[in-house]
Amino acid sequence: MSQEIAVIGSPDFTTGFRLAGVRKCENVPDEQKDDDLDDAVERVLEDEDVGIIVMYNDDLDHLSRNARTAVETSIEPTLVTLGGGAGSGGLRDQIKRAIGIDLMEEED
Amino acid sequence: MAEDVKPTRKNLMAIEDRIELSERGHDTLEQKRDGLIMEFMDILDQAQDVRSELNSDYETAQRKLNMARAMEGDVAVRGAAAALQEHPEITTQSKNIMGVVVPQIESTKVRKNLSERGYGLLGSSARIDEAADAYEELLETIILAAEVETAMKKMLEEIETTKRRVNALEFKLLPDLYENQDFIEQKLEEQEREEIFRLKKIKGKKEEQEREEREKEAQAQAEREAAVSAD
Repeated sequence: MSQEIAVIGSPDFTTGFRLAGVRKCENVPDEQKDDDLDDAVERVLEDEDVGIIVMYNDDLDHLSRNARTAVETSIEPTLVTLGGGAGSGGLRDQIKRAIGIDLMEEED
Repeated sequence: MAEDVKPTRKNLMAIEDRIELSERGHDTLEQKRDGLIMEFMDILDQAQDVRSELNSDYETAQRKLNMARAMEGDVAVRGAAAALQEHPEITTQSKNIMGVVVPQIESTKVRKNLSERGYGLLGSSARIDEAADAYEELLETIILAAEVETAMKKMLEEIETTKRRVNALEFKLLPDLYENQDFIEQKLEEQEREEIFRLKKIKGKKEEQEREEREKEAQAQAEREAAVSAD
């Protein structure tokens, strides 16, 4: 089954992806992120046609704890964050928990 | 709890079998965990390369988009974005790394030429094309990052599960089994000592009885002999 890429973020963030042909864009203006970003993430997570979610790393801070955990731990669709280090999107914590060592330390 | 186990030879043998099985399972799981960590390290190196490529591609794409916006205007960029007909699609297949199923993502229609973009040659400018190009390249790296990071997440989940199993065997199940084994062995030794003591006592009593009987018999014999000699 073929799936699509979804982008969640401010209109400035999503415009470039629309230019590359991405049509599943959830536009959430900066001033509404605290209120509306959770719903946007929930909608995308429920969409079975979405295989990859693209978000700006700092936008994760606007999410509630449940929504953040849901999107960070989701495997299908999987989250790719932009503007963060290699350990962004909860991976660093997961590595620390599973391996017992902070393997991303050198990236800081 | 050791006190819950009946101290019998049958239970001791059953516990010894369980210990042998658990130790074998513990060794196997430890090997699996180490193997998974080694595979994970390879993927981690790959992920770090992809991540730095992703960040540089994002910066380039953003710079080109800002340039297009500044030169052509926001409306022209949004107009070009709205005109697109072809949409990138991904299909997921899977491969197996040490029992962990990780995805292999194939993409189609990510890279498009000018005629496929839908906004036409006259309707756009070179800067918008450059921005679209840069974002298409970014999408390709995002797809690669998604593949590698999903594999990492799945491997980490499996490592965590295996680690929990190893720890449960090492710190809970095996110590409990060893405790039960010690308890039963001690009880059985105690029972054996009691049994030996009891047997010794019985033997002593029996010897005492026999000695008394022998004495009585000897006395009776002596009396009989005395009576015969008196006659």
